[in-house]
Amino acid sequence: MYTTTHRAVVPFYVYAGLAFLVATVLLFSGAGEFSGHYFQPHILAITHTMALGWGTMIILGAGHQLIPVLIEGELYSIKLAYISYLFTAVGIALLVWAFYIFDMGWPAIYAALLINAGVIVFFVNVLMSIVKSKRENIQAVFMLTAAGWLLFTTIAGGLLICNFTENLLPEGSLHYLSLHAHIGIVGWFLLLVIGVGSRLIPMFLIAKYEHPGLLWSIYGLINGGLIVFIFIFLNTVWPVLYGIPLICIASAIVLFGIYCRQAYRVRIRRQLDDEMKLSLLAVVMMVLPLLFLIGLIITLLSLSADVKMVLAYGFTIFFGWLTAIILGMTFKTLPFIIWNKVYHARAGTGGTPSPKELFSGKVFHFMAICFIIGFIGFAGGIVATNGMATRIGALLLLGCAVLYNVNVFKLLLHKDVML
Amino acid sequence: MIIHQHTKIAAILKHNPASLEAIVSISPQFEKLRNPVLRKLLAGRATLAMASKIGGCSMEDFYTRLAPLGFTKGAETTAAETKELQELPALIKSLSDEQLVVLDVRPVIAAGEDPLSLILQKIKTLQSGQVLKIVNTFEPTPLMLLLKKQGFGAYAVQLDDQLVETWFYRLADTVVTNQRVQTGSWDEMLARYKDNLQTIDVRGLEMPLPMHTILAALDDLPEGKALFVYHKRIPVFLLPELALRHLDYRVKEVANDEVHLLILRN
Repeated sequence: MYTTTHRAVVPFYVYAGLAFLVATVLLFSGAGEFSGHYFQPHILAITHTMALGWGTMIILGAGHQLIPVLIEGELYSIKLAYISYLFTAVGIALLVWAFYIFDMGWPAIYAALLINAGVIVFFVNVLMSIVKSKRENIQAVFMLTAAGWLLFTTIAGGLLICNFTENLLPEGSLHYLSLHAHIGIVGWFLLLVIGVGSRLIPMFLIAKYEHPGLLWSIYGLINGGLIVFIFIFLNTVWPVLYGIPLICIASAIVLFGIYCRQAYRVRIRRQLDDEMKLSLLAVVMMVLPLLFLIGLIITLLSLSADVKMVLAYGFTIFFGWLTAIILGMTFKTLPFIIWNKVYHARAGTGGTPSPKELFSGKVFHFMAICFIIGFIGFAGGIVATNGMATRIGALLLLGCAVLYNVNVFKLLLHKDVML
Repeated sequence: MIIHQHTKIAAILKHNPASLEAIVSISPQFEKLRNPVLRKLLAGRATLAMASKIGGCSMEDFYTRLAPLGFTKGAETTAAETKELQELPALIKSLSDEQLVVLDVRPVIAAGEDPLSLILQKIKTLQSGQVLKIVNTFEPTPLMLLLKKQGFGAYAVQLDDQLVETWFYRLADTVVTNQRVQTGSWDEMLARYKDNLQTIDVRGLEMPLPMHTILAALDDLPEGKALFVYHKRIPVFLLPELALRHLDYRVKEVANDEVHLLILRN
């Protein structure tokens, strides 16, 4: 009971894994473009493959699985889960293609409509599940709020696309890019990852740790900071005021770091597996984009925005902590979903493998190494404008994506084995 | 068009609609194909090999009747599929009455409807250890293949030319019987620890408290005792922890929201 059928969840994981592969292929083939301006077709295509195809799709999949666990009730509708998959899957592919060939006409507009429809369906499904369960749960509130910000982001994205062909907004689309991006990064990804992580990280560490007060503070800081940011942005007051939302978000991240550290200290499971190590590394990596952002604001105050800083900032978010936590958490969730599918019918017999044995630990280990070195190489290459470093970094990230998919498909194709 | 035993009836009908009459003339069993609804459903699922079993005719009948319509016989591939269900599985022999669920689909088919959804619905409600018997006028080979993919074994007996009984059973159940010798089933294990059980109930606890409670109880579990847990679901995240502690477990799903868990030392 309270488990969403694997049929509604697994397609999201598969899509996300393939999107990660596509993004790293694009990253490798376009590594040279990372020395120029960030507002160009191929980088927009890569960013949206990562943000939507990889990050959002896996969160939607895991979200459908997690909601019943969080609210101790059933998902409102499995049908809506399928529909949201259909809309987003088609919409995201179309959008990435539209960016790649830079056709902001019908392909991009239909893509935006489909993605928005998919997100609305997801939002309604989460909302109705919570309303029906009548059980208050802080993580579910994080998820619902984050889904609301996601909708805000995709609506804004849709408007920006229309703004390319029709003059809808007072300024050009480039002007609103940071608004669109930050609502997505902070409101959707950061809020959701912290919300879900605050439940999953103590759970996998087997830590009897709870601190709702701390989590509500984080919730207030992120949402407050984001609202202040939007206000400052739309009213173009002094750039120095951007320090306020920055301090809010930075404090939220530090508080979440403290939360994880506390959980880590009281954990029962002494030895950490590779998946948990990578997930905790992701929490530490959240600081990196903050450093680039501070650097960016300092340069912004003196001269104009440094494009290198913007590229590094975006890269350390999407290919940094977000990817790290997905790489780790995939193998903390998917094996259990597959195990349930394959073995629950004969769990009474004994002789079933452990969920951890359904994927290769060795492949995971090499994937993690490729990721870490590839990430450092590419980020370093952007900052130092070193084409060789970005190319090698991109190649390692591509290797990481291949290994990730190898393990995901190994899981999916797992057949009942007797021990 | 080249045809062989794996060619779908639907492909043949699509290639040349006149083949319908030729096929119907082979066996009265194929009269069903005249009904457009049944045709759509059955023809898409059945291959020539399956059809020859259903119609009680040989593959050669198809080749000779279809030859004038421009169909030529292709190379025969290995015909292994039909061989495997000869011996009555031990499971079926030892069935008690409550383990047998009977479904007669003859009236449904006679009414011109597709019994598939009814069968699938029935098979879903099948409890562990239960067997579904389907009464029909032909051997439902496509269904047997479909359910095989879902983990069901099948065994069919032709009682006369209008009556076929087919049994479907979970392959996992036959595993249970093989397994019993090696590691002991739920029942055996429960019997073994009957007087040495410690019981906890974690059904009312919110995640992740069930896991903590179980692990704490395991830490205090005296030597030679087993832990019996009332749970709402199979606690998948607990399983790796059990493996780390070299503990073994058995699970019994009592209902949709009730699972009994037996944790024992290896």
